[in-house]
Amino acid sequence: MGCRGRRRAAPTKSIMGTYIARRLIQGIVVILVASMFCFVIFQFTGDPVVNMVGQYATFEEAEEVRQLLGLDKPLYVQYGRFIWNALHGNFGKSYVTRVPALGLILERFPATFELVIIAVCMAFSVGVGLGVVVALKPYAMRNRLIMAGSLGGISIPTFLIGILLIMIFSVYVGILPAFGRGETVRVGFWRTGLLTLDGIKHLILPAITLAMYQLAVLLRLTRAGMREVMTEEYIKTAWSKGLAPRKVIFKHALRNVLIPVVTITGLQFGELIAFSIVTETIFQWPGMGNLLLTSIYENDQPVIVTYIMMAALIIISANMIVDILYAIINPKIRYD
Amino acid sequence: MKKAILFLFAVVSIIMLFGVSGQVMAASAIVVAPDVQPRMMNPHGDDSDAGLQYFANFFDGLLQRKGSEGTLAPALAESYERLDALSWKFWLRKGVKFHNGNSFDAADVKFTFERLSNPDVSEFTNTGKSIDTIKILDDHTVVIKTKQPIPWFANNMHQIFIMDKESTEARDPGDVMVKAIGTGAYKFVEWVKGSYIRMEANEDYWEGAPPIKKVEIRPITESSTRFAALVSGQVDIVTGVPVELYDKVVSNPKIEVVRRPARRSIFLSLTNKPGTPMEDIRVRKAMYMAINEGEIIEKIMRGHAAFAAQIPDPPTIGYKAEIERLSYDLEMAKKLLKEAGYENGFAVTLTGPNDRYVQDAKIAEAVARYLAKVGIKVTLDVKPKSIFFPEVNQGKTDFYLIGWFDGTFDMGRTYFKLAHTRDSEKGYGEWNGANYSDPEIDKLLESTADIIDVAEREKVLQQLNKMAMVDKIIWIPLHYQVDLYAIQKGKGLKFSPRPDRWMVYKEISK
Repeated sequence: MGCRGRRRAAPTKSIMGTYIARRLIQGIVVILVASMFCFVIFQFTGDPVVNMVGQYATFEEAEEVRQLLGLDKPLYVQYGRFIWNALHGNFGKSYVTRVPALGLILERFPATFELVIIAVCMAFSVGVGLGVVVALKPYAMRNRLIMAGSLGGISIPTFLIGILLIMIFSVYVGILPAFGRGETVRVGFWRTGLLTLDGIKHLILPAITLAMYQLAVLLRLTRAGMREVMTEEYIKTAWSKGLAPRKVIFKHALRNVLIPVVTITGLQFGELIAFSIVTETIFQWPGMGNLLLTSIYENDQPVIVTYIMMAALIIISANMIVDILYAIINPKIRYD
Repeated sequence: MKKAILFLFAVVSIIMLFGVSGQVMAASAIVVAPDVQPRMMNPHGDDSDAGLQYFANFFDGLLQRKGSEGTLAPALAESYERLDALSWKFWLRKGVKFHNGNSFDAADVKFTFERLSNPDVSEFTNTGKSIDTIKILDDHTVVIKTKQPIPWFANNMHQIFIMDKESTEARDPGDVMVKAIGTGAYKFVEWVKGSYIRMEANEDYWEGAPPIKKVEIRPITESSTRFAALVSGQVDIVTGVPVELYDKVVSNPKIEVVRRPARRSIFLSLTNKPGTPMEDIRVRKAMYMAINEGEIIEKIMRGHAAFAAQIPDPPTIGYKAEIERLSYDLEMAKKLLKEAGYENGFAVTLTGPNDRYVQDAKIAEAVARYLAKVGIKVTLDVKPKSIFFPEVNQGKTDFYLIGWFDGTFDMGRTYFKLAHTRDSEKGYGEWNGANYSDPEIDKLLESTADIIDVAEREKVLQQLNKMAMVDKIIWIPLHYQVDLYAIQKGKGLKFSPRPDRWMVYKEISK
């Protein structure tokens, strides 16, 4: 098992604890800064009062709404009050739908989560699988084609992939639906589309669209890693020991390549959950990204700021979990 | 790893086997894809037509607008009468029940109109606060007294939807925002935000049960996706066919396109602030004459618009058929500018929305190009409506593109907002974003406030309209929009669009 290098002592609990605490503090600062940015930007995105007071309201009536929302107060008072309320779990009410902003976002979470988890599974399995295949025979014609295709996956914009898939599979061939989530089933608070055939049919095109970029990245990463590892001494040793090719490739080589691949997958997972906006818009997927876009159009400030804070939280947590896992998987890595 | 791939292939191929999408729906069920999402199910919280078209199916007003002409007709009030300048008496329909089984009576009407003035739940505060008292004479008679004479009060009653007093007060305010309980032709079944709204026929509806029994509304805001959903047969009716896809939709044999002239007119607002070139009527006239509206309709609207010479549309009180457009005449425009001392033109910023009206940003671009031909240097400033409208409301603009139509079919209310000098004391001129100001217009407009008699109103408002469009050139009218709908031919649906663009499903039949 030469592949693991020399073993060192696993990081002690206290070092890990300090690390996590430090990351948590950083995370809180990032979230605060992100929300503060939102409030500053809101100063330039138009007056929300005009959009919510009704088109025949008088100036006086608009002023009343402004006071009701506290929008007549200076910026720092508004921000301070928002943070204070947020600390108490109250992120304010949406200006547009007049219901709590956080609930509005959480309601959309299952749709996005299911889309992303399927997309990531697709990207990971196909990307890594193809990556291995390509690395074994890099100069075969078929594999060159796959590599060229992966460039396409990276460079073709998501919206174009989405529209092309809709044109082909919904409009011309007509076997997959063009939009929405289809039939959903409620399991507790979670509304899932994974338990119905209709729901799964609706999931395929958006999941492929969302997976495409990541698939290409993982494929190229795996291929590069595999090609490098396959020339290592210990692989030659493994071959010369007469081990079965499957064992050499998967157990000895791929395992080492997987560490950066898993890292990237984890990092992207957070980002996809927070920002699968384009895919969700094209397929009218009722997820969080779609909500964010609508809220930006409508200048629904409480929803936007809550969303940005949540997105920051998701990405920070994903990064942190990856970092911690990394330290556990690979003891060579230290955080001190 | 291999297993995972195998599993994935298995899943995909199973799904492929099942093939052919498009649900088989029950005979009298339809799926509709409008181009806007509903914001809420609280019928007073959204006064835009985009929102009202949802509420109109679950709720009834005291009156309603019917069919393709938008005729005012009785609804929850069987009849009404104007007692004096301020008081309106409504005789309510008996035996009507809300969807939860509660009876409809005068207390619900009082509750509804009082609720309008609460800005927490209402965008109709203007209507709410204009009411002085609501008197219940008996269970089925109410008298509403306004603070000032409002000649168009009844004309607006199709937009004020009556809510059930008992249940609305008892329910959690959040629940009221997302679930509709009304007296309407359809009962609210389910709203999954961002996905769909389902409704089913109210078999006990006072006007008789509607022919379509189940309606599923799946709003699709992305126009190319809406088009794909229609072509792939996932939906039966779509609203807002984008003009750039029109030819594609029309050439599809399975789809029928329905056109309807819309009530909304698109126009340019101009300032006459002292010191600006536009203060001079010759300059405003020159700008009017420099714009080639025919080409805008042909090239940008692709024929889906009609020339406008004024703001109101024909059925509106105040519309004057004799008003004609100034002709497109570059030479004349140049001459006028020369007379006004702007032979070398001047610079001006044209503001406008880019996500509100059909081809709005492109129209603004075209206007800028036309004005450049007579030497006027236009800086374009188009922006999202959520930024644009507040700027207009705050009077920060000199020259902008906007659209308007008035749900009351009476230009009185609109002119007070658009044409009167901005006056926060009196509550006039909120949408006069270019700060146009003319005492003659103001005086004539204020004189209409007390006129009740329809014929008399018509006369004065037409006079006002002519003064604004011909004598003063307050605005440069461009065109009336045309609404485009597309429906599946095979379904045999009978559908005639409404002037206000509302989708009222009780009016659709098989």
